[in-house]
Amino acid sequence: MLTAVKNQMRVCLLSVKYNIMREMVNKVTFLTNICFMLLNNATFLVQWIILLRLREDVGGYTMREIMLLWGLTATSFGLSHILFARVFSLSELIIKGKLDSFLVQPKNVLVSVLTSSTDISAIGDFLYGVVIVCICRPGVGGFFLFLLFAVTGAVIFTSFALLLGSLSFWFVRMDMVQDQMVMNIVSFATYPDGIFNGVTRFLLYFVIPAGMTVWHPVHMLVRFEAGMLFTVLGYAGGLTALAVAVFYKGLKRYASGNLMEARL
Amino acid sequence: MEKRMESSALTDDRSRRRRAAGCMPWRKYAVIYKSVLLESLQYAANMVMGFFSYFIFIFIFVKLWGYIYQTPGELIAGYTKEQMIWYVMMTEMIWFGSNAASVAGEVSGSIRGGNIAYLMNRPYHYTLYVLTKYTGEWSVRLPMYMMFAVVIGTVMVGPLPRFPLAAVPGMALCVVLGLTINAVFKICISLLSFWIEDATPFQWLYDKLLLVVGTMFPVEIFPIALQPLFKLTPIYTVCYGPAKLIVDFSSKKCVEILAAQAVYLAAGGALMLLIYKKGVKKLYVNGG
Repeated sequence: MLTAVKNQMRVCLLSVKYNIMREMVNKVTFLTNICFMLLNNATFLVQWIILLRLREDVGGYTMREIMLLWGLTATSFGLSHILFARVFSLSELIIKGKLDSFLVQPKNVLVSVLTSSTDISAIGDFLYGVVIVCICRPGVGGFFLFLLFAVTGAVIFTSFALLLGSLSFWFVRMDMVQDQMVMNIVSFATYPDGIFNGVTRFLLYFVIPAGMTVWHPVHMLVRFEAGMLFTVLGYAGGLTALAVAVFYKGLKRYASGNLMEARL
Repeated sequence: MEKRMESSALTDDRSRRRRAAGCMPWRKYAVIYKSVLLESLQYAANMVMGFFSYFIFIFIFVKLWGYIYQTPGELIAGYTKEQMIWYVMMTEMIWFGSNAASVAGEVSGSIRGGNIAYLMNRPYHYTLYVLTKYTGEWSVRLPMYMMFAVVIGTVMVGPLPRFPLAAVPGMALCVVLGLTINAVFKICISLLSFWIEDATPFQWLYDKLLLVVGTMFPVEIFPIALQPLFKLTPIYTVCYGPAKLIVDFSSKKCVEILAAQAVYLAAGGALMLLIYKKGVKKLYVNGG
């Protein structure tokens, strides 16, 4: 069992390595994508400098918490797009019947699909997040906690996209819903949770999981609470199990598009 | 003999068409506009998801400004809470309704994929073709977003105070010019693909400049020293100008913004044609 998991992990890392090597063929484009994504994310600091000139805090967040919020969102989003970028276009693969080439490979279908592409600009997102959090000086313990939450955040992003993408086995046009809902996590997660209340706040913690991906972790980076940590870990684990189950249940319904395709 | 008559009739027909095209060179662009408009109408239902996304943005900003404006009637940079939210709604309406990413994607895609080699030989100017096609696309999308914006704005923050109905034509002209200027600049950036493989990162920066500085806040909210600088950027003509006129109309401001847009459009158009001309030469060097 452990050997199988180890082998899958190795295949997963090799896939990502070759995806990145493929993109590095054109070095100028590769570097421009990463550097400009760093700059692109940095422009949002202007927005918060302006808002925090008007009020001392926004929704209980000062500049430090805002930077942690942005850092964690960018790192989690970046990590999921570096390792599992294909999940964000899973709907398209299912709708167009393009899963055939993954089904015939001698490795786990889901791992094979998820790791089959890497979004290079996401390296810029990841680096931006790490730099921004380092500027906040979270301390050694805080930094390791941040890395843990970057992983749980990436797992939640990936699982949420997998769950919605897998619904394409049953429903058409889920590609639009998948894109929209994943981007909604980013839209909400980059604003303080203090500005939302009531039912909206509940929905943002459990239905569109911005709270579990970023807000709870930021609260813990400011003041650690073990209960919150287990809630986040439990939610990430539960969502992953649900998404994987839905994917395999849907896979039984998959109909090939008879598309001739070779994966090298 | 019969052959000669037939050939002479064909020649007459061709020369008649050439004369007609010479008199009305814009006719081919009108046909492109009409066909894209009809095509866009077919896919109007796809906009529903876009409405949802637009609603989410507006919802966040209603909450954000609701938190920042702590007392009723408070003014920030000369704007009431209602005006500030309507300003964001209008700039986001222009942003979502225009979907300028499509124009950038089309040009970059054609250059990178090599399709440009076929498109540049057609009987139209490629950049004007893209611009016309894009105009046909937003002609359907923007009015729908406008109606949606008016409905959710009225429900969420109430009607826009002191809105002058008589000034609507001036506002509409300003919005149309703003969209066209934005498309021209996006085409200019995409044309860089003639030299670099992927111009998308430059599009990100341009978009973020417009989004963060022009869409989320009116220019007056920035430090006074920076405001003249922003008035020299496309932010003033693309986002700020049209939205400012809608939330706080004045004839003087309208004339000022329209004049700035005319200058920007002329300069941007000339730049676009120049980059295209240079890029096409580069394409010949590479062999297409």
